[in-house]
Amino acid sequence: MALMPKRVKHRKFQRGRIKGKATRGNRVSFGDFGLQTLEGGWISAQTIEAGRIAAQQYVRGEGRLYIRIFPHKSVSSTPLETRMGKGKGEPDYWAAVVKPGTVLYEVGGVSEEAARICFARLAHKMPVRCRLLKRRSA
Amino acid sequence: MAEVLHVALRELFGKRRVRRLRAGGQIPAVLYGHGKESVSLSLPTTEFSMAIRRGTRLVELTGGTTDTALIREVQWDPFGVEVLHADLVRVSADESIETPLSIELRGRAPGTTQGGVVELLAHEVVVECPVTAIPEKLELNINTLELGQSLTAAELVLPPGAKLVTAEDQVLAQCIVPFTEEEEDEPEAADISEPEVIGRKEEEEEA
Repeated sequence: MALMPKRVKHRKFQRGRIKGKATRGNRVSFGDFGLQTLEGGWISAQTIEAGRIAAQQYVRGEGRLYIRIFPHKSVSSTPLETRMGKGKGEPDYWAAVVKPGTVLYEVGGVSEEAARICFARLAHKMPVRCRLLKRRSA
Repeated sequence: MAEVLHVALRELFGKRRVRRLRAGGQIPAVLYGHGKESVSLSLPTTEFSMAIRRGTRLVELTGGTTDTALIREVQWDPFGVEVLHADLVRVSADESIETPLSIELRGRAPGTTQGGVVELLAHEVVVECPVTAIPEKLELNINTLELGQSLTAAELVLPPGAKLVTAEDQVLAQCIVPFTEEEEDEPEAADISEPEVIGRKEEEEEA
């Protein structure tokens, strides 16, 4: 089952605009290595889940994978061959809005080599350009 | 051994001027502490970046001002690539200060051969240490960590003269059985296609 909020205040959202770079959630906080996005965009719940599955097999039984983003925004769409009007479409999927610099996933307890392989596999699933980020020591 | 940084006194303030300063290969910095006036400085980007990469904390300032300083805080750009600003605090050689230090796991836990994984729960601890003896990181030996056991801050190897500020009983690492897919997936109610809308039920009941 794809990620989505349990309770929401409104079913439908306006599209909005992605301005600026991430000033929060742009550091490795839980693991040792992170996958940082270099572009802004929407990452659907299905994509987040696909990334998790792709990465999980490389860290299973060794390290731990952290998902740092959550799809809070519902994206609506109108069905095909629908006439104009009749209001906003129904929610189609849920997406996470990410700004450039956001850390999408983190892994801990694995070597740098393993983290690189894991994130290279994961980055292929992402609709945005990504790079590996290391934890900065205190 | 403290690294030497060639600093210059800075009279350029404001974001436009500071941006130009950065474009010219300098980093804006501030020096304060010991009850003296704070001084605005500029540091060469290359020298400072090299010092940071080597894990240096104590620096010797020469040029615009002469002092021994500790790198207290470094501000990075949103991608964590370029240094935007540095905070330096004056220290003397015989002084002890509280500083956060990273923890590095050393060795191989016997618990991993029994199917466990080592999880690092805290990535840093606060230590009171003489400024001349601040290490880059602290090592935590996990050679005795069996499955189901944990290591606390008391088991860290501290440099001479250092004192732990973090509680000694704080768990730093543990060896546990890894989560399996079945455990991770919570049993979910079947067919939840949409989340609950806050306030909707009440409205419908009222209508």
